[in-house]
Amino acid sequence: MEEYKIDLTVNGEKISTTAKAEESLLKFLRRNGFTEVKCGCEKGECGTCTVILNEKAVKSCITLALQANHKEVWTVKGMEKFELGRKLQKSFVNYGAIQCGFCTPGMIITAKNYLDQNPIPNREEIKKAISGNLCRCTGYKKIVDAIYAVAVENQRSK
Amino acid sequence: MEKQQYEFIGKQFDIKNIGKVTGKELYSSDINIPGQLYAVVLCSPYPHAEIKKIDYTEAEKMGAICIGPDDVPDYLYNERIVSIPEKTYRDRTVLPKDKVRHIGEAIAACAAETEEEAFAALKKIKIEWGKKWKPLIDLDEAIKDDAPSIYDCVYLGEEKVDIKNNIACERNIDVGDIDKGFKEAEVVVERTFNTQRIYHMQLETKSAVCVPEADGGITVWTTSQGIHNVRILLGNIFNIPLNKVNVKRITLGGSFGSSIQMNSITPICVALALKAKRPVKLVSTREDDIYDHSKYPLKTILKIGAKKDGTLTAAHCRVWVEIGGHNIQAYPYLGCVAGWFASLYKWKNIKYEGTAVYTNKVPTCAMQGYGNPQINFAVESLMDILAEKLDIDPIELRLKNYVGKGDEFWGQGPTVRSIIRSCGVEEMLIEGAKLAEWEKRTPPSKKKGELRRGIGVARGFHTSGTGGPNPGEVIDYSGATIKINEDGSVDVLTALMDHGGGTWDAVAKVVAEVLKVPYEKVGIYNEVDTRTTVFDVNTHATRGVYCGCGAVKFVAEKVKEMLLNYAATLFKDLPENLKLACNKKLGQAVIYPREIPENYMTLGEIAEHAHITSWGAIAYTSTLRQKNCPPCFITHFVEVEVNTKTGEVKVPRAVIMGDSGTIINPDLWEGQIIGAFSRGLGFSLLEETKYDLNSGGLECNGLITDYKIPTTVEMPKVDNIIVRSAHTYEPTGPFGAKGIGEAALSSVGSAVANAIYNAIGIRFYDLPITPEKVLKALKRKEEEEKESRRRVGDKVD
Repeated sequence: MEEYKIDLTVNGEKISTTAKAEESLLKFLRRNGFTEVKCGCEKGECGTCTVILNEKAVKSCITLALQANHKEVWTVKGMEKFELGRKLQKSFVNYGAIQCGFCTPGMIITAKNYLDQNPIPNREEIKKAISGNLCRCTGYKKIVDAIYAVAVENQRSK
Repeated sequence: MEKQQYEFIGKQFDIKNIGKVTGKELYSSDINIPGQLYAVVLCSPYPHAEIKKIDYTEAEKMGAICIGPDDVPDYLYNERIVSIPEKTYRDRTVLPKDKVRHIGEAIAACAAETEEEAFAALKKIKIEWGKKWKPLIDLDEAIKDDAPSIYDCVYLGEEKVDIKNNIACERNIDVGDIDKGFKEAEVVVERTFNTQRIYHMQLETKSAVCVPEADGGITVWTTSQGIHNVRILLGNIFNIPLNKVNVKRITLGGSFGSSIQMNSITPICVALALKAKRPVKLVSTREDDIYDHSKYPLKTILKIGAKKDGTLTAAHCRVWVEIGGHNIQAYPYLGCVAGWFASLYKWKNIKYEGTAVYTNKVPTCAMQGYGNPQINFAVESLMDILAEKLDIDPIELRLKNYVGKGDEFWGQGPTVRSIIRSCGVEEMLIEGAKLAEWEKRTPPSKKKGELRRGIGVARGFHTSGTGGPNPGEVIDYSGATIKINEDGSVDVLTALMDHGGGTWDAVAKVVAEVLKVPYEKVGIYNEVDTRTTVFDVNTHATRGVYCGCGAVKFVAEKVKEMLLNYAATLFKDLPENLKLACNKKLGQAVIYPREIPENYMTLGEIAEHAHITSWGAIAYTSTLRQKNCPPCFITHFVEVEVNTKTGEVKVPRAVIMGDSGTIINPDLWEGQIIGAFSRGLGFSLLEETKYDLNSGGLECNGLITDYKIPTTVEMPKVDNIIVRSAHTYEPTGPFGAKGIGEAALSSVGSAVANAIYNAIGIRFYDLPITPEKVLKALKRKEEEEKESRRRVGDKVD
C-alpha cells in the first residue's frame, strides 16, 4: 500500500507522519499510540472508536486516515483540556456510568460533541444522540444520567 | 442477625478504575511489544469437513510465520478447567487435527510484520479438504441414528468415552418418588419451552499478546476472567513449567461468561510466538468473535403437579441443549440447570433428565446465568399457567412454594449444596407488588385497543460462588496478598478480576473496613500477574464479592492481627487491649489503648516504625474457600406495551427487587441490575444467532447491525426503572454480603413473557418474542376467535 504524507493535530498536538491510502483513521491513531480509541467492530456499527474530527463526532473505523489531513482530531485523552470534557468525565465516574469501560471513550466523545451543539437537551434527546454507541454492560441508564447531569449543570450556569 | 454500622461498606466513593474515563485504561489489544508480529487466523468456511492437508509454504515465502494442525501439540484439553479433572470432558487441540466442526473454527494462523502482510500471507495457505458433511444444525437432526458423527470419542478426565448419536453427555437426577408425586397432584400442567442462542457481544473482541522469554517461558496478556487457569492450561498444553508461564492481569472489555474458559485464540497466539521466537499480537475481528462463542440454548419439557390449594407435589423436567462443535462445559451446565430448577420451588418429587448434543455450530459457553435464565423462563412461565388454572394469584402461588430460609440450595448442580441462611423473597414479592401496583392489574380479556399494556412478575436467583460444605465438582477458592506501606497506605494484590461490576471497589471497601484505612488509601492494581498473586479460580458464578472479597477479608484480618501484635510492643500492652479505628480528620487509621483514644498512633507511624526498626513487613498472603453458596434473589415486575398493529413490544416500566444481603457498592449494584435488565430485554425480545440450515453459517454473517442488541432507544421510555433492595444479611458473607451479577438477569425473560400474556392473552413458549412472532400469534388468535364465534353461531341457528 502506498504511503502519503499527513499533517494533523491530535488532542492539540501536531503530528506529521505518513498514512497508508486505505488505512482507517482508527488504525492510524492506534498505530501512533492513541490506544484510547477502541476498536469494537471496524464496520461503523458499535461506536467505540468515535473521535471528534473538526468538531464532528465520527466513527474513526469508517473514516480514512487521510481524510483527517490538515484537520483536528480529539480523542478521550484530550477531553481534559475542555471544561465540558472534564465535567463529563467526572459525571461518568459519579454516576457509575462505566462498567467494563470499553465503550466509555467513544461514549464520552459522542456526548461531548452533542452537548457542544445542544447544551441543554432532555433525556430522550440524549438517548437518541448516543443511540449509535453500543454498551453491553450498563443498560445505558446511568450513562444517560451522567450526561443529563452535565446538561442540567449547563442550564444552571446559563 | 448481626447488623452493624459500617464506615466504608455500603458507602459511595469514586470508582477505582478512573483510567476508564481518561482513556488510560489498557486492554489486551492495547498492549504493544517492540518487535511484535501481528497475527491473523484462518477460519473454516465449512461447518463439518475433513482436513486432508494444509500447505503454507507460499505464505512462509512471503515472510510470514505460519502454524497448522501439525505445529500444535497433540494435547487434548478443555479450555475451561473450573471443574475437577475427572468431571471435565476433553475434546479439542489448539487447532483441529482431523476435521473442522463448525464454520469459523480456526484451522491455521499467520504472523507477520504488519496485519496487512499477515492477511496477504493467509490468502496463500492452501487447504486440501476431504469429505464434507451437511451441517447438523437442529438438535433433533443431530441425535438421529444416521446423522454423521461429529466425534467418535472424547475423554472424560483420563477415561476414553465413545460418543453415540452425537450425545456429548447426559445427567439424570431423581429426588423423592416422581410417580407418587404426580398421583397426589390434582392439577397437572405440561409445556415445551425453547430459549435461543445469543451472542455475548462484549464490546472488546478476544485478544492476546505473547512474549517468548529467554528462559523458555512465556508472558501473556489476554482477555480472561481468571488468569491462573490460563497459566495452568498454557503450561499443560505447551509443556512449560507453571512458574515460567506468566499471565498478566489486564482489564477486559466485557465478557459475560465468554472468558471463563481460556479463549481459543490465546494458545494460537502462544504457538505462533513460540515458533517465531518473537512477540506476537492477535486481536480477533468481530466476525471471528461472533463465530467463537455463544450462549447455551435450552429446550425444556416441563411438567408440574399441584394440589388445588397450590401446593406443589412433583416436577418432571427434561432438557436438551445443543452445544455446537466443542464441549466446553456442557456437563456442569446440565448440573447447574438441574440446580436452578430444583432450587426455585419445593417440588418435593423431582425427575430431571438432561442431554447435551453436539452440533456443527459455534461452541456454547456460559453467559450470565449459566442456564438460569433459560430454565427460569420455563418454570416461571409454567407457574403463571398453573396459577391461572388454579385461579390463584401468581404472587400467592410463588409465596406458597418458594425455596427459602432453612431450605437446601443447589448452588452449582447436585454436588454443591448449602442451607439458605438469608432470604428476601417474601419481602421482594410483597413490596415489589406494591411498587408495581400489582392490584390494579386486569386480565387480558379486559384489554382493548391497538396498544395493550400488561404486567408480569417472575422471580429468580443465582448462586454466590460455587462453594459448599463439601468441595463438590467445582474448584472454588480465592486469594490475596495485602501489605501495609511505610506511610500507612495499603496495597492489595489479587488475581480477582473485575468485569466492571465493581468487584475491585468492593475489595477496597472490605480492606478499608477491616483495617480502618480510608478508602482512598487502599490500592488495587492491574499490574499484577500469575507470578505475583496466589490462585483465584475466576470471576464467574457471581462469586466476586462473596468468595473474592471473602478471601480478601480473611487476609485483611490476618494483617490486622499482625498489626495489633506489633503495635502492642510499641504500646507495651496486650493486642486485645488495643483498638483500631479510622480517624477521618487525620485521614489515617489509628491505634490506641482502649478507652484512651488520645494516646493514639497512626497506622503510618506504626508502619514507619516497623520499617526503621527492621521489624519487618506487615503483610500477609493466603487463600480461602467459602463453604456456602448463598443464593442472591431477584424479582422482576415488568410492564409491557404491545403494539397489536406492528407486533412491537415496548417496556414502559419495571420494578426490580434484589436481595444481595449487605450491599457493598449500592450505586454499582443498581448499575448491574439495570445493565442485566437491558441484556434481558435483548434476550427476551430481540436477539438470536440464527443459522442457515444448508451452509451452516450465521444469518447475521458476523455483523452487529444484522444481529441487533438493545440500544438506548430500546430501554424503558423515561428510564422508569425502580430498583430496590431487600433488607437481609448473609451471615456467611463478607460483612453480610452475597452476589448479584447473574441473578439480575435470571427472571427478565420470564417476567416479560408473563407481561405479554397479561397484555394480549397469548402465551409465548419460544424466545425471543419478536414482532413477527407477536403478529403471527395475534392473527392466529383472531382467526381462532372468529372460528369459535362461527361455531357458536352455527349452534344457535
